[in-house]
Amino acid sequence: MNLEQLKQDAKAALEDGRATLVIGFRDRASECVPAFVASADQADALTYDDTCIANTAAYLRKPEVRERRPVALVARPEVMRSLVLLKAENQLTDDDVLVLAVGGDTYHGVLTLSDVEALLNEQYAELAPEAETLAEIERLEAMTAEERAAFWAEQLAKCTRCYACRAACPMCYCERCIVERNVPQWISTAAREHGNYAWNVIRAFHLAGRCTECGACEAACPQGIPLMLLNSLVAREVRDTYGSRPGYDAEAEPVIGSWNKEDGEDFIR
Amino acid sequence: MKLIDASQLDALAKTLAGAGYRVVVPAEDGDVVRYAEWSPEVTIRTDAYPVNSVKDFLFPRSEVIDRYELVGDDFVPKEVTPEAPKTALLAVRPCDGQALAMLDTIFNWDFEDDLYNARREATTVVPLVCTQADAQCFCTSVGGAPDSSTGADALLRPADGGARLILDPLTEKGEALVEAAGDALAEGEAEADPPADVPVRFDPEAVRAWLDENFESDLWDLLSLACLGCGACAYACPTCHCFDIQDEKSGTEVVRLRNWDSCGFRLFTQHAGGHNPRPDQAARWRNRVMHKFTYIPERFSLPGCTGCGRCARICPAHVAMLDACARIEEESKKAPVHES
Repeated sequence: MNLEQLKQDAKAALEDGRATLVIGFRDRASECVPAFVASADQADALTYDDTCIANTAAYLRKPEVRERRPVALVARPEVMRSLVLLKAENQLTDDDVLVLAVGGDTYHGVLTLSDVEALLNEQYAELAPEAETLAEIERLEAMTAEERAAFWAEQLAKCTRCYACRAACPMCYCERCIVERNVPQWISTAAREHGNYAWNVIRAFHLAGRCTECGACEAACPQGIPLMLLNSLVAREVRDTYGSRPGYDAEAEPVIGSWNKEDGEDFIR
Repeated sequence: MKLIDASQLDALAKTLAGAGYRVVVPAEDGDVVRYAEWSPEVTIRTDAYPVNSVKDFLFPRSEVIDRYELVGDDFVPKEVTPEAPKTALLAVRPCDGQALAMLDTIFNWDFEDDLYNARREATTVVPLVCTQADAQCFCTSVGGAPDSSTGADALLRPADGGARLILDPLTEKGEALVEAAGDALAEGEAEADPPADVPVRFDPEAVRAWLDENFESDLWDLLSLACLGCGACAYACPTCHCFDIQDEKSGTEVVRLRNWDSCGFRLFTQHAGGHNPRPDQAARWRNRVMHKFTYIPERFSLPGCTGCGRCARICPAHVAMLDACARIEEESKKAPVHES
């Protein structure tokens, strides 16, 4: 990957004021960690490889980042989809962000959100979850309901309700999350069985038609809960039922939040 | 001395379980290692860092502290007995033992926490000396050590190049555990291996001195920028002890819960009237660092952070306490900027 070009582009954007902050990644003791570059001389620290899994778009939720717009973000295809989706949900405009687009081994250059949309549709239209995730979903679907319930009871018993999954997700930008309301108490705050089940399933539901399967939540989970099994399953159902994939069209209406005459009804039994 | 083959920790766990202990060990779970209750299916892993701490077993992440039943028009209180099973924390890290000194103090400071104390009384702590450390460990920078026996009832020490473990009882509870271990332990002699080399990375006094003078520093914005405001660090931390009380109902029963809380959450200091004295992540992160490195040391003459590095290992944004302290120490060496 042409990392040198990425660094040069970051420097140029900072120098000419197209961005006042670059959010990307740097190496720290052989780990890929988020980097916040505010001046050109710091841009040499920027790096990128496939271990850079954090979704940089999640930082756009922070007021201290929003107030420094325009911000440049290093973004891989799933993160680019997050950005296009944020635009579709009226959270971002083309003037707010510049994208230093990466994908596989390629650095695509500095793009606006509109360019990013074009790039995604041209070159990344067939993004799919990890083969491992799909295989595991298949394995779960082949189980009986009891076996599946036992699987999730075991996995979700580990949840400590730290909400790292929510914090790492760019689409979880509600100023007051459903789990923070107790009038009424939608979700038990206790880090045990039914509260954990409710939290994780409801978050997956709130992401229906909004999850770009970036995997940042699963990577964020300190307990190693396989969250992508939930999110990828829901994403598949939305795709199969409504033919929709989020983050490819900034003009698209939200799938769950809108009604279309063509919507099928075969799930009504 | 009492000895056991390093590969026979399972056998020791099994014997102790048979003697009535709830045995907690560092257990493998896919890609993570987590302190969990031992059972024959568990694989004990002493080579990796657990994502949780022993506080899970003394101060659970959620517990019922009060229970009421609606009978007619009245709320009738129901008995709540704290679960305090006889527990052995086996092959935990010395930094966990170190943390207990602080938790014991906090939970008996201005109020004696019966729930914590009941469990603490029933718990025997058996750390395993570390012969390896990683880039996030900094116990030696905060008055700890990889072979610390602080908070330990008995200490496991690797010997003979890691092939065997020496078990030294240090307290009455430790003696009782050694006795309960019976034949799982052999008598003999072995040469203890040197503990891990954990270089000192910063001077906590320099950090504390800077913290006491720099509440308003711009450095807090920089240090906190990567923080996403979740609770992962506070929950993994062996010394973090803040909690939230929640009342929840189910049918005709109301339970009062004590749940873990994190000062990283925006809601932590949100007032009912709308004001938030820690309105941004910089203020919240500042509180975290100050708590660990000046408020606790000042009030209790104890380190508020044991340098275990868990927070850094599990943080989704890779924010590291060690980095923050090193940066603060660096800052403390610069000429002071006086604001008038």
